[in-house]
Amino acid sequence: MSASRKFFAFTSFRARLLTFLSALLIPILGGTLYYVNRNNTDYTEETINTYLQLGADVFDYTRRQEAEKLTSIISSLTWDYGYRTAFAANDPATLFDASLNVIERSMESTHMLMVVDLNHEVIIDTALQGFSRVQGAFEELLVRAENSVNFQAETITEVNGVPYQLIAHGLYLPRQVAWIIGGFALDDAFVERVAESVVSEVSIVRHFSSGERQVITSTLPDAERQLLAEQLEFAGVIDRIQLISYPNEDWSTLLRPLFQSETDGSEVLAVIQRSYDENQENVVQFRQLLIQFYLLVFALSLFAVLLLARSISQPLTRLASVVRRIEAGDYLKRAEIESSDELGELAESVNNMASGLAEKEKVRDLLGKVVSQEIAEELLNNPVELGGEERVVTVLFSDIRGFTSYCEGLPPKEVLTALNEVLSSISNIIEAHSGVVDKFQGDAVMALFGAPVTGQDDASNAVAAAAEIVATLDSLDSRLSACVGINTGLVVAGNLGSKNRLNYSVIGDTVNLAARLESLTRYYGTASIVSEATVQATPEFLFRELDEVVVAGKRKPVKIFELIGRKKEVSDEKKAEVSQFASALQCYREQNWQSAREQFIQLQRSCDNSALCQIFLDRIAHFSTNPPAENWSGVYVFDKK
Amino acid sequence: MVLLVLGFWQQYGLGQTIQFSLIDSEGQPVEEAVIELILPEAMRGEYQATAIHEIDQVDKEFVPHIKTVVAGSQIGFPNSDAILHHVYSFSAPRPFNIPLYGRGENDDFFETFPQPGVVEIGCNIHDWMLAYIYIGETSLMSITNAEGAASLSGLPGGDFQLRIWHARLDAPGNVMQVPVSLQGGQTSSVDLQVSLQRDRRIRRAPSANRTRYR
Repeated sequence: MSASRKFFAFTSFRARLLTFLSALLIPILGGTLYYVNRNNTDYTEETINTYLQLGADVFDYTRRQEAEKLTSIISSLTWDYGYRTAFAANDPATLFDASLNVIERSMESTHMLMVVDLNHEVIIDTALQGFSRVQGAFEELLVRAENSVNFQAETITEVNGVPYQLIAHGLYLPRQVAWIIGGFALDDAFVERVAESVVSEVSIVRHFSSGERQVITSTLPDAERQLLAEQLEFAGVIDRIQLISYPNEDWSTLLRPLFQSETDGSEVLAVIQRSYDENQENVVQFRQLLIQFYLLVFALSLFAVLLLARSISQPLTRLASVVRRIEAGDYLKRAEIESSDELGELAESVNNMASGLAEKEKVRDLLGKVVSQEIAEELLNNPVELGGEERVVTVLFSDIRGFTSYCEGLPPKEVLTALNEVLSSISNIIEAHSGVVDKFQGDAVMALFGAPVTGQDDASNAVAAAAEIVATLDSLDSRLSACVGINTGLVVAGNLGSKNRLNYSVIGDTVNLAARLESLTRYYGTASIVSEATVQATPEFLFRELDEVVVAGKRKPVKIFELIGRKKEVSDEKKAEVSQFASALQCYREQNWQSAREQFIQLQRSCDNSALCQIFLDRIAHFSTNPPAENWSGVYVFDKK
Repeated sequence: MVLLVLGFWQQYGLGQTIQFSLIDSEGQPVEEAVIELILPEAMRGEYQATAIHEIDQVDKEFVPHIKTVVAGSQIGFPNSDAILHHVYSFSAPRPFNIPLYGRGENDDFFETFPQPGVVEIGCNIHDWMLAYIYIGETSLMSITNAEGAASLSGLPGGDFQLRIWHARLDAPGNVMQVPVSLQGGQTSSVDLQVSLQRDRRIRRAPSANRTRYR
């Protein structure tokens, strides 16, 4: 597993779900929060901006309205007979008083009046600015009024350092004889009036070309006026919102230029301000609410996921432990999950599997008892079907000699027990030498070496097993002895029988010959007879060649041998005996009857199998009188089993 | 700017004649300009006969709009409207004030205008009402018609000044003078082009015509 894969490897289903949930929810919730917050902030800022623009517009509107009121007053004034009379009286002092009277009557709508003749000479000026001829903004105002349709114009300029809204209007007698300039101050009262309508702070500031700032009038407290003057930026911020920080909060601020002073080049601007934080309050509240809601959603999802993970991982863990138990061989363990979902199905499958495994194990057990372990494995692991394969095996037939006398007087049940005991030990020996018991038949045992599993030393194993069987039975009881036939050759191994009932077994001439060899042991009086094929396959063993025979039902003669033992274990006398027997057998086959008889007689005296020598002595006696056929090569033919 | 052309030809009957025409800087004829031949004091007596004049108030307008009178003449200001008028003058030659009066009132009241000059009269009730009274030294006065033309005849011979006044004449006091030479029964043509000021007066608003309160 690569490192990167390891990085993403989760140790639990819960961790996987939690990670998935986090990966899914956090971007979604975070993203929504971000966009909602941003949109809200944008909206709020837009709202503030709108308010400020509205404030500036209301400032202008209020100024406009006041200007119109002033225009009405002055317009009326120009037709006022008393005022005209005062003007016509050509006495500035009288006109001055009349003008003050007008200001008085205007209810704060007019703060100053000037009367200027058509040559722009000042006749009276209630503001006492001290110039005899209008100049600067005043002159420009009159020029514009002269060029206007109705001889009216307006401007904002300063009067004695205070910004004033001014209106110029003709004085008619009945033709125009002079100009009346009326004005009202854009002062505290004015900004307060505007502030009242727009619920914003309104100030008028002057920005000198030297950079110095002066708050001319404001609805702000003195301390904040100072901060406003310090923080305001003028360059390029007209119609752009700027933020002014006061000790407790930030204020969105909009500038609206009023006029440029003629005298010192300073600029006078209206300042509309609104608390940024106050407007932000809703956004902040909403954001907090949203965050709380998101946390709740996240917590609930987390809880749900944990529950979900638990509902899946807990049964899974239980299932896993059950599976582990089953793996360890406890097929009776059952997963107890009552659920109709996939987990339930899985549990059911596991249970079924366990049942299946238990059953299989049972079958395997039983099979192991009925057939050998290896055959059982072969049957269990490969498809059980009719037919087989050719292979070379060594077949061992074993029979118990003397069993009848051994059982004499025993009740049948005990006979079976005794038989099972003996067969068990034979069977154990065979299995100990990697052989497979093919079948029991009465007290006979057929065993296979090399089927179903081919081994390295099948023939040697069979021979070794035979030696042990013989020795074991000899030592078991003096009345019992084993007789063993062994043959090696090609057989057909496989399942024999019908579709419904099969036997794993082997068939072929090799098997038949092995059986014949076993039955020949009685004739030759030996414990074992081994075919030539087996002898050739087991060079480490010493055999005595017994004879060359044609067994019943066969035509081809075979050489048969008796197992003596492992070559290195066999005594020299025995070897000498074997070699002497071979020499005697040689003379017999060469029809050297005299020499053969002498040697067999001698062997009969020395060896422990006198019956074997007697067989040959009998044949020699027979052939001495009835010489065999010309082509006789020493083969003895058995014509019955 | 001022173009003076004099023409001479044979005149029948007594005295000399002045044919006057006035155009503005755009070549349009100037109506309601007053011309007055200024005689030396010694020659004036013959032409200083005063008279009694009348400026009526009809449909909230002064009729006529411009009146020439010889100094010392009297003018009555009858009211032909059904509404009250308040005639006033703040002009230096003759300020006066005839407070509110209605039709048939003040018919026997006359203002005397002893001093030459121009008097602007208005109505304190109707701001647009405006009339000019030109008070001349002598009766040798005429008013230009719609073609901007005016003429004076039966004039004495000699070199004089011709005074021209118009309410909007672009000159101090809206007055200018040109020399004029009158010889043996000839007709002198005086053709002038002048520039005019903007009319510094209030026009009668359409609403002022409404008759609801008559």
